[in-house]
Amino acid sequence: MNHKNMKQKLEFVIKDKIFVSIASIIFLIITGYIIVNYLTPEWKMYQQDFTSVVEEKLGVNRAATVRGGLQQIYVKDLGVTDRCITCHMGMEWKGMENVEQPFRSHPKEILAKHPITKFGCTPCHGGQGYATDMQAAHGFAPFWEEPLLGKELAEFYVISDKKAMMQMNCNTCHRYDKETNGMSVINRAKQIVNDKGCRACHVVNGRGGTVGPDLTFEGEKSAEQFNYERIKGFASMFTWHITHFKNPKELVPETVMPSFGFSSSDAQSLALLVMSWKKGKLPIEYIPGNNFKDVPSKEEIEKEERMKNGPGAFFVQRRCFVCHSVSSLGVEAAAQIGPDLALAVEDVQSRFGRTLDDFLMKPTGTMEVVLSTMLPLTKEERLEAIEKLRHAYELKKNEKKTVVKK
Amino acid sequence: MQLIEQVKKIYTKLLWTWNPGSEKESGDAIVKNILLHWFPNKISKKSLSWNYSFYLGTISFILFMILTITGMILMFLYVPSVERAYSSVKDIEFVIAFGWLLRSVHRISAHLMVAVVFLHMVRVFLTGAYKNGKSVGSNRPTNWIVGIVLLLATLLLSFTGYLLPWDQLAYWAITVGTNIASSAPVVGEKIRFFLLGGNTINQNALIRFYVLHVFFLPVIVLFLFFYHMWRIRKDGGLAAADNESLNQKPENNAPVKSKTYSLLGITNGTSVHVQTTMVNEEENSVSSVPHLLRRLWLVTLATIAATILLAILFAAPLEEAANPSVTPNPAKAPWYFLWLQEIVTDTTLKLGFITINGAFIGGIILPTVLIGLAIWWPYRDRSGLNSVGVWFSPERKKQNYTFIGICIIIIIFTIIGTFLRGPFWNFYWPWESWPTMPVKF
Repeated sequence: MNHKNMKQKLEFVIKDKIFVSIASIIFLIITGYIIVNYLTPEWKMYQQDFTSVVEEKLGVNRAATVRGGLQQIYVKDLGVTDRCITCHMGMEWKGMENVEQPFRSHPKEILAKHPITKFGCTPCHGGQGYATDMQAAHGFAPFWEEPLLGKELAEFYVISDKKAMMQMNCNTCHRYDKETNGMSVINRAKQIVNDKGCRACHVVNGRGGTVGPDLTFEGEKSAEQFNYERIKGFASMFTWHITHFKNPKELVPETVMPSFGFSSSDAQSLALLVMSWKKGKLPIEYIPGNNFKDVPSKEEIEKEERMKNGPGAFFVQRRCFVCHSVSSLGVEAAAQIGPDLALAVEDVQSRFGRTLDDFLMKPTGTMEVVLSTMLPLTKEERLEAIEKLRHAYELKKNEKKTVVKK
Repeated sequence: MQLIEQVKKIYTKLLWTWNPGSEKESGDAIVKNILLHWFPNKISKKSLSWNYSFYLGTISFILFMILTITGMILMFLYVPSVERAYSSVKDIEFVIAFGWLLRSVHRISAHLMVAVVFLHMVRVFLTGAYKNGKSVGSNRPTNWIVGIVLLLATLLLSFTGYLLPWDQLAYWAITVGTNIASSAPVVGEKIRFFLLGGNTINQNALIRFYVLHVFFLPVIVLFLFFYHMWRIRKDGGLAAADNESLNQKPENNAPVKSKTYSLLGITNGTSVHVQTTMVNEEENSVSSVPHLLRRLWLVTLATIAATILLAILFAAPLEEAANPSVTPNPAKAPWYFLWLQEIVTDTTLKLGFITINGAFIGGIILPTVLIGLAIWWPYRDRSGLNSVGVWFSPERKKQNYTFIGICIIIIIFTIIGTFLRGPFWNFYWPWESWPTMPVKF
């Protein structure tokens, strides 16, 4: 062995040793980073802060009872694992009502009816219960569909009531209530559904007409199932519903759904209501009063019976009443989009310059579309309709005369 | 006494799965042990050098070991059920100590392993290392084929692992992958049914993929790996060593003083005359211990460090829970199959009333032809001994260019499929932004 070779060998050995040392140092640094990262998670900081707040507000003794470490609520019935209370530690503490979030205690009256152990947090508030850091837990993270339904989201959608969004989730259980305490936004939307007669065209909770799509599980749809081409601005399912409620034709030009001229807040309420109509996997005891059927009120049933069996039954069965009232025959329109048909005889003449007979046999405009696609009528049915409308007109005229005489 | 004998017997049986009957048998046990002969006593400097092998095979194995260790821990934490899989991965991400790191390291190593095994194959081809050298009993083409099977097993391992998190990415990647498989004529649908254990991706598919992923495929890879290693020794080491010996005339080593164990004790004498294959063995080679060992340690350390660093920088994503009724746009196969998906979409053509089935061309014919070609190639390659174990041998110029061409096409198509294909599989340049996908809120 000569010395030159020895030297050459040594060179590569030294290089290798230096590389091993560098790799080891890098490895050590990475390991150090991982350990520090493990020992100082975000939630530990919040827990320390909570202990100090308790100490300040309620004294050292109470502070000593604060439980540290990851906390979670597991609700087997709902399949929910919520770790929110890892940071929101004051949830059930007395005396923490006025402290800043995340330590403020939950309003008692709601917790009394919705114990945290039975409901968890996310079924009402939204967000990602699995997560243990704020960004991910509040659900403003990629691939999490339902963020926290709170202040941030309400501000984003310019909703004045900061707790409005959450009511969508309340309605998962309360969907069959006519009215629910504390759910003003959803209550308003439910009232609109009744007043405007949405059921004339749409099935909701198993009842209603088939002109429009069944809305019973509208909330099950995913964002991808809507067309956003005509949406200006942020493309979200929520925005789609709001825009659609304000002016359906703006998003779907071929739709026959009328524009009801809803205000922004009404449109938002309705959007939240339809998005709350999910299938859900709720055990029966979660449905308030075990009422899981949408039973129409006594007045509603009476009105329906009256219309179905009264002199205007023809117009109800043929679903003309979706848009038109026939006031003299006791038919009240659900949506009141079209004119009162009691006056059709003179109305058609003045609007189209044609007789009622001629118009119904060969309709033009909207009626042409409706009668050829959605509500097809045979020739005999059209003749029957003309006859009944004449009768209605006679009745209406008599009605007017009586009023004038009086 | 009999009882003691019995106990002794049981004791021996428990502690010694194999009890050598003679000294020859015990000697054989050492000679036959692959672990003891994994590395040679001495290694040529060229085999040891960085720029010949780039240690790609070694890195592949280290990645496999990282995957095995992290995978074994993940097995304690992951639940292979449709109801629990997604939430158990969420738990690994958020509450298990170092869980996010384990999962991320497992994922990055899996991706790296696919890439490194592929690069290893490229290296072997470009250096002509699948060709036999002068050494007796060498059969490198077989080892090349074993290597191809290992590459396919690696792809399958990664593919089966893809489904396990049960998120949208998993569900739809497997949908695309298995739909491509179903386009094979006659048996296509049956293959898909067999892979999934049904017509839809559900619990049956999940448990099949899981068992394949955590048991069958790793065991196959492990056995094939050891055979791969054993063949390297049988084939006379790395092909670089063959090339080195080619230009050197063998010379006789002078006998050296040694001891012989005779029946009656130790007798002094000389060793037998040995013809070395190298001139100046001292100059061209070094002892494996510590030099090869140190280098392996360095490669191991660097691979682990790089993997963990990448795992920290690129956290493993977990998309929405699998939803069969919502197709993500675009739905993509795992990245290493995207060149195939790209070819599938490019070859799906409608010419009048004739429809060309791209899935059949890109998904079945093309991979089969490429694998067939790769297996056949070593037997077709008639270049001389000078092109064994050398980078870009002039004699193999055409072959190398063809191979590089194929690889570049695969890489380009993979890049297009991964980075340039957006919603509706439309083409987007890197500077063009993809249309934002709608969200619920």
